[in-house]
Order: sequence, then structure tokens, then C-alpha cells
Amino acid sequence: MELVLAAAIGILAASGVWLLLRPRTFQVIIGLTLISYAVNLFIFSIGGLRTGADPVLHAAAGDIAQYADPLPQALVLTAIVIGFATTALFLVVLLTSRGLTGNDHVDGEDGTP
Amino acid sequence: MPDNVLPSTIIGLPFAAGVLVFLWRAHGRRLAVWLMIGTALLGLLLSLWLYPAITGGGVLRQVIPWAPGLGLDLVLRVDGFAWLFMLLICGIGLLVGIYARYYMPADDPLARFFALLLAFMGSMLGIVMSGNVIQLVFFWEMTSLFSFLLIGYWHHGASARDGARMALVVTSGGGLCLFAGVLLLGHIAGSYELDAILAAGDAVRAHALYTPTLLLILLGAFTKSAQFPFHFWLPQAMSAPTPVSAYLHSATMVKAGVFLLVRFWPVLAGTDEWFWIVGGVGLVTLILGAYAAMFEQDLKGVLAYSTISHLGLITMLVGLGSTLGVVAAIFHIVNHATFKASLFMAAGAVDHEAGTRDLRRLGGLRRFMPITATLALVAAAAMAGVPLLNGFLSKEMFFAETLAARQGPLLDVVSVVIAVAASAFGVTYSIRFVRGVFFGRVPASLPREPHEPPLWMRFPIGLLALACLLVGMLPAQVIGPSLRAAASAVLGADHLPEYSLAVWHGVTTPLLMSIFAFVAGCLLFAGLRHRFAGLEAAPLIGRFSGKRIFERVLAVLAADIPRRIERIYPSRRLQPQLLLIVLLALLAGGLAAASAPFGVRPRWSSVDPAFALLWLLGAACAIGAATQAKFHRLAALVLTGGAGLVSCVSFVWLSAPDLAATQLLVEVVTTILILLGLRWLPKRIEGLAAESRVHRFRRRRDVLIAMVVGIGVASLAYAAMMHPVADSISRFFLERAYAEGGGRNVVNVILVDFRGFDTLGEISVLAIVALTVFALLRRFRPAAESINVPQQQQRQTALDADQPDRAVDHSLTDYLMIPGLIIQLMFPVILLFGLHLFLRGHDLPGGGFVAGITVAVALILLYMARGARWVETHLRVLPVRWIGLGLLLAAGTGLASLVFGRPFLTSYFHYAELPLLGRLPLASAVLFDLGVFCVVVGATTLMLIALAHQSLRRPRQPADAPAATGGPG
Amino acid sequence: MSNHLVIAPIVLPLLVAALQLLVGEKRRRTVLALSVASCVALVLLAAALMLAVSADGVLGAVYRIGDWPARFGIVLVADRLSALMVLLTSVLALALLPYALGRWQHRGGHFQPLLQFLLMGLNGAFLTGDLFNLFVFFEVLLAASYGLALHGSGARRVSAGLHYIAVNLTASMLFLLGVSLIFGVTGTLNMAALAELIPTVPERTRALLHAGAALLGVAFLIKTAMWPLGFWLPRTYAAASPVVAAMFALMTKVGIYVLLRLGLLLFGDAAGPASAHFGSGWMLWGGVATVVAGIVGMLGARDLAKLAGYNVLISSGTLLGAIGLQLPAVTAGALAYLVISTLAIAAFFLVVGLLASDGDDETDDSLSLEPYEQPGETAANEGLYAQEDESRVVISAPIAMLSGSFFACALLLAGLPPLSGFLAKFAMLAPMLEAGPRAGATVLFTLIIVAGFCTVIAMCRAGIQIFWVEPERLFLKVRLSETTSILLLLGLCLLLTVLVEGPLRYLRDTARQIHTPAVYIQQVLPAAEVQP
Repeated sequence: MELVLAAAIGILAASGVWLLLRPRTFQVIIGLTLISYAVNLFIFSIGGLRTGADPVLHAAAGDIAQYADPLPQALVLTAIVIGFATTALFLVVLLTSRGLTGNDHVDGEDGTP
Repeated sequence: MPDNVLPSTIIGLPFAAGVLVFLWRAHGRRLAVWLMIGTALLGLLLSLWLYPAITGGGVLRQVIPWAPGLGLDLVLRVDGFAWLFMLLICGIGLLVGIYARYYMPADDPLARFFALLLAFMGSMLGIVMSGNVIQLVFFWEMTSLFSFLLIGYWHHGASARDGARMALVVTSGGGLCLFAGVLLLGHIAGSYELDAILAAGDAVRAHALYTPTLLLILLGAFTKSAQFPFHFWLPQAMSAPTPVSAYLHSATMVKAGVFLLVRFWPVLAGTDEWFWIVGGVGLVTLILGAYAAMFEQDLKGVLAYSTISHLGLITMLVGLGSTLGVVAAIFHIVNHATFKASLFMAAGAVDHEAGTRDLRRLGGLRRFMPITATLALVAAAAMAGVPLLNGFLSKEMFFAETLAARQGPLLDVVSVVIAVAASAFGVTYSIRFVRGVFFGRVPASLPREPHEPPLWMRFPIGLLALACLLVGMLPAQVIGPSLRAAASAVLGADHLPEYSLAVWHGVTTPLLMSIFAFVAGCLLFAGLRHRFAGLEAAPLIGRFSGKRIFERVLAVLAADIPRRIERIYPSRRLQPQLLLIVLLALLAGGLAAASAPFGVRPRWSSVDPAFALLWLLGAACAIGAATQAKFHRLAALVLTGGAGLVSCVSFVWLSAPDLAATQLLVEVVTTILILLGLRWLPKRIEGLAAESRVHRFRRRRDVLIAMVVGIGVASLAYAAMMHPVADSISRFFLERAYAEGGGRNVVNVILVDFRGFDTLGEISVLAIVALTVFALLRRFRPAAESINVPQQQQRQTALDADQPDRAVDHSLTDYLMIPGLIIQLMFPVILLFGLHLFLRGHDLPGGGFVAGITVAVALILLYMARGARWVETHLRVLPVRWIGLGLLLAAGTGLASLVFGRPFLTSYFHYAELPLLGRLPLASAVLFDLGVFCVVVGATTLMLIALAHQSLRRPRQPADAPAATGGPG
Repeated sequence: MSNHLVIAPIVLPLLVAALQLLVGEKRRRTVLALSVASCVALVLLAAALMLAVSADGVLGAVYRIGDWPARFGIVLVADRLSALMVLLTSVLALALLPYALGRWQHRGGHFQPLLQFLLMGLNGAFLTGDLFNLFVFFEVLLAASYGLALHGSGARRVSAGLHYIAVNLTASMLFLLGVSLIFGVTGTLNMAALAELIPTVPERTRALLHAGAALLGVAFLIKTAMWPLGFWLPRTYAAASPVVAAMFALMTKVGIYVLLRLGLLLFGDAAGPASAHFGSGWMLWGGVATVVAGIVGMLGARDLAKLAGYNVLISSGTLLGAIGLQLPAVTAGALAYLVISTLAIAAFFLVVGLLASDGDDETDDSLSLEPYEQPGETAANEGLYAQEDESRVVISAPIAMLSGSFFACALLLAGLPPLSGFLAKFAMLAPMLEAGPRAGATVLFTLIIVAGFCTVIAMCRAGIQIFWVEPERLFLKVRLSETTSILLLLGLCLLLTVLVEGPLRYLRDTARQIHTPAVYIQQVLPAAEVQP
């Protein structure tokens, strides 16, 4: 379980980073998206993994043993939302830059493909 | 006036006056002049008033607390030495003020000029009266600054600018060295108080840091006093108005350097370093200046180089290390100030009346201006060291010292020879100065018809010439006590050497040396007088122009090279920057992880094949997206979505439904956004751009880096998962969520209650981004080629045009009609679902954010189905209002708890039975969540609509975009 | 205790921003009035907060949001340091407002709300005592800064903004990784609790802790624009509209603040042998490298705005190095330098903005600089020095004002007397010598002096070219409002020259306080608070 997830995180991060270093704005935004997936999973995995645990309380007070760790989830939620916002912003900025500079190179000037 | 406030008055006056002059510059010349003269006069009188106290060996101290915590107080300390300088500064300041009033052009309001001059006077007084070395540096740098502004007073002249810049760079650079030096000095002595430092001489000389300290301080002194090799700035500074040259660049500011040398003499002198560096530099400067002065064609040039030479003389005297040398140095400081200032003013008068300073064009002026000629003659004689004038006395002392210095036979000879040679040169250029200007025949063409300058311009010259005479004839009476006071202030009354200020000591070696030098000088002039005119620059050294070297060095070191380096900064290119970040993060993370044992063994057991399979798919998607993103954007987008989907599934798998839901919805919206955006990106066809080796290399390199990053992150994640912390604060939340947070869905309770503050920030981010997006898209200008409507649409429109029974754009309007209807019907249902999600949020997966996104999605679906125009005609969407309302609601809920005297965001709840909705938690947190909901709805729709509106642009008239997007405002 | 003074600086701007959104852009006067009111109130609040936390015996104020125990909920902590930063922020904002009244604010949508959001983010970052909450506030202030940096659009801004955003998104990812690792190892997010737990972290996870801290550190170093992570800064700042750039003068200082706070709190002497002073070497030498890079850039800058940008690099490099030394006395001096250089750079950006050819965004805003003025020809010819050219020099009021401000900024940045820049450098340099012979200290000491010298050269060259060679090139429609802002900032610096002792005492106490983290922990997690 853990091993698989770790590998998954690694692969997501790797492909994200590779795209991050590409010259085209679209590649960069896809890269950022992939990286944020990786990071979200990373944060989530920090609390340790639980299958079949209950997300919501039955008893008045829950015991850590039988429930999924809620705090990392909360953190991931916040991270997701912020990630969403910034991605959207980046998208619009790259569109504007494309509109103003006439190309989709990260530096605005079309040198290397 | 009581003595204990006298120092601060003397130093405060010029600054106050300067400010007044500047503020009332409207009132023009008169006020400025009178304030200048009045201040200088008052300062002079106050100083003179101290005469008895000072000559009695007293020391005035006044401490004004400033920053005692830093060991920096305004300590004003007037001893004999400082007092002598105060006399010079105020006295010559007064004369220069009078002189300038007539010298400066009549239409110049002079406010700025005198304001600067006064400020300089204050700073100069500050230097000499400093009882704290940091304070000394403080005023030291100020004199550099004001000298810069005064040299550049007529700054439309290029050479004025050059001279000013050069002076500033050299002197302020030296000042910074001095700063470092006194910091070291204070560090060694344990205090920045001058008295403490003067007392700590032995400790300083013995300290390991002595040499660096000495060097730094000397750099300060030498730059200021134009000592070799920093002498070149002084001649350049001659582009300043002559009163400034007379005041700053001969009498006072350039003396600050030697002042410092004398001041620190008890602390730093007496070592070999001191003797060799100070003495040597002084010697070189002395001869170099004198030699160069002979060949100058510019009156002020002659004087400038002669000043350099005399400063060298003083430096050498201090460097010899004998107490008598110090006395001589102080004496010569005063003498030089008097005759050089008067000579500068005379030169200025000549320039003013005859219209040129070129020795080759001047001559015979004594016929037109006899008085000025006489005065200049006296001063020049003093400069040449003619007996019965003050210059003679100090020169005699100098000769005596060079003879007395015992540093091995060879060196003695050298120094004596050089001393004599220098003074011979001195005689030569003095003669040349006088003869070239006032004697000989009158040149045919003088720029102006010369005549005697006005009385008040001659007065200062005369006064100073008179001083030369008096000191020269009755030294003991005139200057004796003051000199004694000054010397004993430096050396200590009991270390005062035996010296006599008599005019006649009988026939001594020094006298013979003087006579020899005088004769030699005359012969030299007689021999060379006809050669002088022809020379462009001094022989031998003329080619090495310090100015040009300086300009060159500055241009290369401080402009060319930095420019080249700056050009290769990757500040315009994103890829290298990101690469650096990734690499550094790798490095830092790696090193840190290696800093401690890191033992994790991979555990192959408990690998769920299904899960593994799932992620096989996910990995494929991710890698696919990475490879496709360049040429097949849509494919890449879909693949990314696949990867996201997989992580959603694994969230469900790992019992985190909230995450899954949120991630899913966010992904939907993101995808829609990017889809809307794709249209504006340029087409990219595979294989068009030729693939160079560089690019292949880059790609390989990045693949490698990416892999390393992946492995690193994976191992970190694995290690973290393998070592879950023993006791996490999560326990607390599980225990309290229901009891105190009033919700079964712990995650949601954390979001809206335990850590509601995070959520508040998070929705603010959402709001900000939405606003930014909106603002950007308002000014959005699509690239020319992507304005045209998509091909399919064009084809349809063409089709409509062909068929008579269809109106143009008909097929556009009924495009997706059936789905549109369905969506329109679904709209309320989705809204209801959103409401449901919202309400259950506190107990079951769901909540404000998810609900908000759902509603937004519903809205955008409607947009897609019916088109923006239709939607906006049928319901008014005011996203910005939603955002504002939501934020207000969320923050307001938080504030509400203040009313009950509880901290921000303290939640309150109880359960209520409601008809048909059943038992509901009425937590204040729900209100907060409602705020979240509003913000999310507002922000998401704002972004989607703003982007969607771009597609409404009509071809070739993108200007109506703002009007179109004006709706959501 | 529930001293609502602590939360006010965060919630007030948020409320104001929300109201401004509700009021709508059309009603400019109302929006503006709201902004002014908010900024004035913020200054007063911050001052009150400072007084409250610096009263004798008081160590600071802890505010438990939602009334949850500090260990588990989110706490705000106002000690001397955070109070100082909050005050600096609000003062800067207030001083900039008049300038913003001018041409700048109508260049795009929602300038004022974005400014308020920025203030909220900054104050939050300074006040929060929770690591993840810090992340959130970083995002708030970054998001606002994106908006402001892009304010006015235009090709230059957008392409610079694109880089700025990309870099900072990467940094945020690192931030998250770091936070989650640290949380995973310690099981808490509260800074004080972290400081408490770090010494007890078991050996097998210490590596993870360090890795997390390192990634976190990189994220902050990106914000402080440490070499080689800071190449985005000069261009972004140069492209932003002046008032925004001036506000950004504070942004790098946020990174400095966090590094100072966390470095001393989490990895001070108490952190145990394995973790004590973790990363301080990086800060010191990174700072040194940054100063060098900044100097080179400043000397090589091709236009005035870039020159200003590189000055930002120099100042944050200096600060990095100084706090990297981790000596209380130096830290105190560094704080003084932080305040002064922030004000000075802000003022300088405003001056640059006024010198710009004209307010138009589409054209390149700022004056291009010649590498060096060709030496005057008159000097060389026939051995004559300057013939005094005695035609009178008239200087119009705007030029006088501008050149005066430029001169003042130059003095402040170069650390020359008589302005407070000199005192700040003195306060920072003097204790470095007391540090005894440490390679780092010596190098930094020398470098700071050299930086001052190079600043003199660069500023002198620029100033001469602008005001003395071709003053007619200037765009001289200086408005009263704009002048007010500049004079406010410079006046403040002047005031700090005269009344230096009081502030310095405060800073010394501040340094002492942050160098004894036990106090902070003790305050946030009083023994009284029972572990549930």
C-alpha cells in the first residue's frame, strides 16, 4: 500500500517537474497541476494510510485507532482549494501573456521551441 | 554665554543658518550673504572668546545624548588643536563669504550656494570638534557630500560633473574605509570616545588588528588630503567656483586628512608601519606635487598641485614620528591655509577681471591691478618660503626635521635631497605664478579689459597676506601661544618638545638649505621660463593622468564588467530560474536528509494488487500527459484529468470521501477553465521546429533531474508513512469534534471550527484570485490569429447563408438544443443538491466549499447550454457581490463571538428539530460555512464567466470585451 | 487572555476589502475613504499593540482563535518582533496611500481591495503562531501580490508576472512538502509546540525533520530572493507600478521575518546538538552571495527601476547574512537596518516612478542608464581645468524636490550620514566585530562596507546623469499627493536619525526576546494548560 502510493507520488512529481522545466506555458500549467496532485497525496499520506476506516464519527468521541486521521485531510482540502485558485490565475496570466506577446513561450519571446 | 553650551552653539549655527538660507531662498542674495557672513563672524568671535581658556590648556567638553546604547553620543570636545582649526574654518569661511558675494555672478540668487557652504562649514567644525570617532566619521562623510555638491555647483559643465563625481567617489570611499577603521579602533580600545582611544595607544599598537586598522584609517586620511596615489581628484575639483576651491580645497577640507593623522598621532604613530607608509607617501606626494605644479598652465592648476605638495609636506612631517615634526606639521597647516587661500582668491580675482586663468594668455596685469598684484606677491613669497613670511618658518622646521630624522644614512640623504628639491620647485612655480600673471608685457588679446577688483574682493586677500607677514615677523607673539596650545593638546603638555619660533636662528644647516633651494629655484625658472609655455603637460609624469586612469578603471570595474555579468543573469528567462530552484531544493533536501540516519526498508508485503493496478493507470496518465503536453494539449488535459481521477479514487479507497468529492469537483472546474482557455493558444504542429542538439541535451538533463526529484519525494513520502508519529494532535479533534464542535464529520468541523481561520484565509485567496482574473481578462487582448471564430462554426454559418430557410447564426443558436433544455431543467435540481451537500456538510461528507463549487458548475453548465447572453438576460449574476457578501458573512460570524467576550471564531451551536429537514445542527459554524459557500460560488462563477465571455468577442473588434464583461462588476 | 488587539490587524483589512467589493468599483470616493480609514486605524492599532507588548513585564500577547487550546487550535502570537513588523507594514501602507491616489490606482480593477488583502496577508503572516496557518497567509499575501504586480496589465508586467507566479507556485509546493514532513514527524503545527518537541524527536525521524525544514527553508529563501533563487525579483519589481513596487519592499522582509523567527525558535541552542543552528550557515553564505549578486546587478543595471530592484537584493542579502550569524546584538542592528532599508527602498521606488518618462504603462516606464558618462572633453584640452561656466543655474521646484529625494534615498541606501542608514549600518557592523574572529562575520563586514561604496558609485552615476546631464528629459508633473508619500517616508527616516535611542532600545529587547525562545514557548503553552 504505502509503497505503491509512494511510487505514485514520485511519478506524479517527476512528470510534473519535467513539465515545469519545459518552455511552453501550457506544459508548465499541466506540470503544476500534476505536482499539486503529488503534493496533496503526500500531505494526505503523512498521517499514515487507513483502508475501510470510517470518515465520520458514530460515537460522541472517536478513537484515533478506528478513524481516518482527519487533520491531514483538512490540510489537503485547504491545499486543494488554494491550488485550484492559483492554477486558475496562472492559466489566465498565460492566456494574457499569449495575447500580448503573440506566443506561448514562458519568456514571451519565441526563441527555443 | 556659559562655556558648556558654547561648542554646540558654534556647531549648530552654520546648520541652522544654512537651513534658513535654503528655506528663504526667495529672499535671494542679500539674506543669504548676510547669514553667511554673520554666522562665520559669530563663530569666529565665539572661538576667539575661548582664547584664554584654550591657551591655558583647558579642554571644553559637551555631551549631547544621542544613541548611548550604541556608545555613540554627540561629544563636542574643544582642545587647542581643534580650536586652531575652528579659527581657520570660521575665519577663512568669513573671508570666503565676503569674497564670494562679489565673485559670484550677479544674477545668481546664491541661496543654494551659501546654504551648501554653511552646511559644509558646520560639518567641518563637526569633524574637528568630534569627541567620538564615529561622530567624526559622520561629519567626515558629510564634508565629502557637500564638497561634491559644491564642485558640481555649475553642473551643466561636463568637467564640473566629472570633478564632482571623482571627488565624491574617492573621498567617500576613503570615508567608508575610515569608518571600518574607527570601528576596529573602537573595538580594540573598547570605546568610541576619543579620550578613551587616545589613552589606549599602547594597547592599539600592540593589538593583532593594528595593521588593518592603520591601513584603513590612512586610506581615509590620504584620500581626503589628496595624497599620492589619490591626489588626482584635487586638480579636477578646480572646476568648482573659486571661493569653494579657496575654502574647501586648500584651507579646510583637504586639511581634514592631516588633521586626522595628527589627531591619531598619539595612538597610531611610533611604529615602523607608520613611519614607512605615512612618511613615504608624504615624501612622494611632496615632490610629485611640486614637480607637476611647475608645468601647469592653469592658475588654479598650479595652486592645486602646490596644495598637494604642501599637504605631502605636512604628511611627511607627521610621518617622521618625532614630536617636533608634529609641531611643525600643525604650524604649517596654519601657514599653508593662510597663503594658499589668499592666492586662490587672487587667482579668482584675475580670472574674474581678465577673463582667463591661462598662464600663456596672461601677463603684465600689475599695471591694471597693482594692489592685487602686491598682495599676491606677498602670498606667493610666503608659498615660496621667503624669509620674514610664515611659509619660511615652517619650512625651516621641516628642513630641521628631515635632518634630524635618523633612519640610516641613505634614507637621510634621500629625504634631505627631496626636501630641498621640492622647495626649489616651490620657488620656481611661485615665481612663475607671479611673473606670468603680473609681470612681463600685456598680451594683445585679453578676453576682458582688466581692472582692479572691487574693494571687498581685495579685502580678504589683503587680510590673509597681512597674516602671512605678521606671523612671519612676530611668530612668537602672534601664533606662539595658540601653536603651543594646539601642540600640547596633541602631544600632552609634558611631552612638548623644545622649539623656538624665532625668525633668526643664526646660520644653520636649514638656513643654508633654504638659500640653496631658493637660488636653485630661481635658476630653474630662468632656465625653463621659455620651455614652460610650450608644454602641454609635465614631462615624464605628464602621460600618467590619474584622472584618465581613474575614469578607465571605474568604467571597466564598475560598468563594463558588471554589465556583462548582469546580462547573463537569467532574470528574463523562466526555465533556468525554475531549474535552479529545483536543483537547490534537491541539494538542500538531500543534504538535510543525509544529516541524520535515515533507515527505512521497503516493505513489499501488504501491497494491494488492485491498488497497484489503479496506480499503474495513474502513472501511465501522468507520464502520458508529460509527453503529450507540447503538441496535443487536449490529450494532455484528458490524461491529467485521468491522473487526478485516479487520486480521487485512492482518496475514496483510503477512506477520505471529502477529499475525493472536493478533488473531483475542483478538477471539473479546472478542466472547464483550461478548455475555455485552449482556444486562445497558438496551434502547434509536431516536427515543424528542427530539433537541435542543445534541446535534446536539455530534455535529457531535465528527465534526469525529474527522475531524481521523483525518487527523492517518493522516498521521503515512504519514510514519512513508515514512521507515523506516536502522538498527533488529531486525537484531540476526534475526541472533541462532536462534543464541542457539534459535528460528526470531523474534517468539516476542523475546517469550519478548529481551524476555521485557515479556511478564512483560503476563501480570501479565492476571492483575490477571482478579482485578479477578472481585472486581467477585462484588458485581455487575444492574439490576432486566434480571434477568428472556430472553423466548424464558420462552416455552419456558411451553410446557413446558403440555405434560404435558415437565418445566419441559426445553427449556432440551436446548437446543442436538446442537451441545453435538459440542463436548463436540471439546473434547479443541481442547486437543490448543492443545498443538500451544504446542509449535511457538518455531519456527512460535503460542506460549504463542495456545495459552492456544485452550484458554480450548475451555473456554468447553464452558460454552456444556453450561451452567456441568454443566461445574463434571464438571471442577474453579480459574482463580486457574492464574494464580498461571503467574506463579510464569514468574518462577521467570527466577530460575533467577540460580542460574547470570546475570542475570534469561537463557535456556538445547538441542535434544533426542524419540520421535514429533521434534526439539524444550528452551529455558528454553519453560518461561517455559508460565507464560504457564497465566496466559492462568487469566485468560481466570476472566473468562469470572465473567461467564457472572451469567446463572445466578435472577430476584428475585440474592443467590446470590456462592455461584455462589464456585467459582473 | 483575549486581547482582541492581536486579531484586529488581520480582520480589519479583510472586512474593509469585503465592504469595498460590496460598494463596487464605481463609487471611488467611498472605496478610497474606506481604505484611508482602514490604514489610519491599522497604524493606530499597530502602535497600540506595540505599546501593549513592550510594556514592562509583558512578553507578548497570545490569542487563541476559536478559544481552542493553543496546542490544537490556531494561535496568534504578538511579541515585540511581530508587533514591529505589523507597525512597519501599516505605516508603509498609510504612507503609500496618497501616492496611490494619483494616476496609478485606476490602471486596473480593484486596486484598493487588493491592497487591503495584501495587508491582511502580511499582518497574518507576522502574527500567526501556527505553521500551516502561516502557509495560508503566505498564499493570501502572494495572491494579493500577484494581483498588484499585474495591476495595470501591459506586456512587461504580464510576462514578469508570469515568472513571478510560476516561481512562487513552485515555492508554495516546497512549503507544503516541508510543513507536512514536519507535521508528520512531530504531530503538531503549533510553532511553540514544535520548538518543544524538536529536541525530543527520535533519531530515526530526525532526517525527515531536517529534510522538511530544509524544503521549508528553500521556500522562504525564494521569497527573500537569495542568490541564486532571486533572479525573478528585479524584473518583477521594475515592472510593477511604483506604489506596488514600494509596497513590495516589504515582501522580501516577510521571508526574512520567518527565517529569523523559525530559525531561532525551532533551531536555536535548545534544539539539541543534532539540530541546533540548522541552516544558519546557509543563510550566512547565501546572504553573502546575494549581496555580491546585488552589487554586480546594481552596477550593471540598465535602467533606474532595475537599479532599485538590485538594491532590494543587496538589502535582503545583508539581512540574511546578519541573521545567519545568530548573535543577539547583530540581530538588533539587522532589525534597524530592515526598517530603514524598507522605508528607503519604498521611497526610492516612488521617486523612480515619478522620474519615469510618463505614467504610461505600455511604454518602458523607467529611465535607461548610460554605463558611464564620457569624461568631460574640456578637461583634457591644453592643460586647463574646468573654465568656470558662470551662467546661473535655475532649478525648478519639482526638480529640487525630486533630486533632493533621490539624494536622500541614495544616502539611506548607501548608509552615508547624515541619515539613519548610517546609524543602522553602524548598529549592525559594530557588534559583528565583537563576534570575534569568524570567517563569516569578517566577510560580511567587509562586504557591507563594499556594498555601501558601490551604492555610492551607482547612485552617483545615475543621479548625475538624470539631474545634471539631461534634466530636460524628466517628466515633471509631480502632484502634491505623490510628494506627500515620498516626504512622509523620508521624513520618517530623518526622524529615526534624531530619535534613535528609543527605537534601538526596543530593537535590542526584541532581539533578546527572540534569542530566548523559551519565553515564547512558555507564553504560548503555559504549564497551566492541561494536556487533554
